[in-house]
Amino acid sequence: MAKFLLLAFRNVFRNRRRTMMTLLMVGGGVAGLLLVGGFFGSMYDGIRESTISGGLGHLQIFTAEHFRRDEVRVLDTGIDNWRQVAARVQTGNHVRGVAPRIDFYGLVSNGYKSSMFMGSAVDPAAEKSLGFSSHVETGRDLDGKPDGEVEALVGADLAKSMGVKVGDGLTLLTTTTDGAINGIDVQIVGIVKTGWSEVDARYLRITLTSAQRLLATDRVTNLVVGLDATRNTDAVYAQLLPNLKGQGQELTLKKWIDLATAYKQIRGLFNTIFVFIGIIVFFMVLMSSVNTLLMTMFERTREIGTMLAMGTPRIWIIALFMLEATLIGILGAALGVGGGDLLGVLLNHAHVHLPPPPGTTVPMTFRVLLVPGLMIGASIMAVISLALASILPAIRASRLQIAEALAHV
Amino acid sequence: MNNTDTLVRVEAVSRRFPLDNSPGRPAGSTFVSALNNASLRVEAGEFLAISGPSGSGKSTLLNLIGGIDQPSSGRIFIDGVETSGLKVKAQATLRREKIGFVFQTFNLIPVFTAAENVEYPLLVQGVPSSERRRRVAEALEDVGLSARAQQRPDLLSGGERQRVAVARAIVHRPALVLADEPTANLDTRNATQLIDLMRDLNLRLGLTFLFSTHDARLLQHTPRIVRLCDGEIVDDSVESAANSNEGGRHGEVSAACLS
Repeated sequence: MAKFLLLAFRNVFRNRRRTMMTLLMVGGGVAGLLLVGGFFGSMYDGIRESTISGGLGHLQIFTAEHFRRDEVRVLDTGIDNWRQVAARVQTGNHVRGVAPRIDFYGLVSNGYKSSMFMGSAVDPAAEKSLGFSSHVETGRDLDGKPDGEVEALVGADLAKSMGVKVGDGLTLLTTTTDGAINGIDVQIVGIVKTGWSEVDARYLRITLTSAQRLLATDRVTNLVVGLDATRNTDAVYAQLLPNLKGQGQELTLKKWIDLATAYKQIRGLFNTIFVFIGIIVFFMVLMSSVNTLLMTMFERTREIGTMLAMGTPRIWIIALFMLEATLIGILGAALGVGGGDLLGVLLNHAHVHLPPPPGTTVPMTFRVLLVPGLMIGASIMAVISLALASILPAIRASRLQIAEALAHV
Repeated sequence: MNNTDTLVRVEAVSRRFPLDNSPGRPAGSTFVSALNNASLRVEAGEFLAISGPSGSGKSTLLNLIGGIDQPSSGRIFIDGVETSGLKVKAQATLRREKIGFVFQTFNLIPVFTAAENVEYPLLVQGVPSSERRRRVAEALEDVGLSARAQQRPDLLSGGERQRVAVARAIVHRPALVLADEPTANLDTRNATQLIDLMRDLNLRLGLTFLFSTHDARLLQHTPRIVRLCDGEIVDDSVESAANSNEGGRHGEVSAACLS
């Protein structure tokens, strides 16, 4: 077996130039997949962390009722005793903090024009402690001081539509939890870009206390839990879930991934693109390798005839060709992993910037993640591709007519 | 002649090859006859030459005896086993165990050293490595190439390559060694050395050698010569090499064949 392996290995380097070309082709395919996959991986990580730090948090607590039915009135499925729940959650391992939120909606008016808004009310101190940041383009974030004017952050597109800027006033109109109409004057302290233009056209944020006063309630929609690291999400979820029982209301816990619809859609789309690219690379390597291996077979016709004449079982000839192709696949994959990783590191150091993705407004940096799973997967793909490519030449070699093969020039 | 000592028996064997591109005729309907109704017996331990001009059917006959081609009609027996009726796998086993081949163009595996080339038939037979090493060393010593064991074929001379090929053919002690024009690519000195080597192995180890040639130098050392002309055996002479003028006889038969 060792001699057979040695024969295969030496045959691989028999025609060095051709082997090098094949290795470059296989390596190029693997490196390409690593770069594309690594870039997608980096993009997923970036979107995930920006989604979480943008306010989604790692976990969110709602009433179970919130997911069973639509609200008839604002906050009628909200959490009552949220302060006790937050205090209890806060003591858990890996928990950095808990931020209460209210989601509400209504009309915003500048005196002569009205528009819909989707409001979010937050406790600025809690948000800040969790590192949740609003992408304030101009002005400043909410400071949460109880006295003075009611402060508001407004989405850039909403501000543009309403013709307002930092320092201007707006009036918010909404229905309270009792169904009554209520209004409040707010002063714009900052213009925000969320990265999603559809959101920016409706975005409005005020403090939690202002919203509770506007909506005439002490409830909140949900509690956002921030952790020390995203990787701890599952562990904290398992730890918190039983602690939420016996809180009066039936509460439920959601992981960030359950709520990050856009993230999942993006990931699904790019995973499909990656699989498509992978299939193309697979077939490119396969087809060009078939050609190369057939050429090798024709060149070695007389040698194969000699081996068969000496009584070599035909299955050995098949095994030899497949082994040689597999070796090329392994070497090509190693070259691709090395080259792809090196190129990835160089590109990461080059700090290449890309235009904002469709639907977003924030430019992204081209980064490539070095993902071991991807390296293994791409390498396996290359080896399988070469092994499959060798089947036809191997079978043809094994079926050669010995006398004709020996007379081959 | 006692049948039990007969190693090779060729009975009325013909080999026709189809001509695919004969004008005006459907493919496969016309044939060229390379061997016609040939019969031959070779006893164990013989040193036999098949002689004749180019295209007379020497290589075809050797290929048929070696089981690397199939006769169109007739039967061939090796060591009592009819090879023409064997399946591909059984033929491979027969070749592996009972036949050694020496080719005109040496046909060594270029990425193997001389020793590894000689080792190959034993590898295919599944001989354990320690036994392989011993037998390879012996075979290389038999052909006088122990010192060149680790050289690859491209670093060996033509004569040395053919001696490696002979060592490869005898390393598993086959019942029959078939050599197709073994001296055709060698100069006079190397050809003579190779003939002497083969004859020595024949006498010393009792190996049966059956080779094709039209080299008069080789025929002078050959006790039995089977002459072919246009696919037919025209002469089968057993003479003392020392007392014969085989080169002249070969010339006569060749001239008659060509006329």
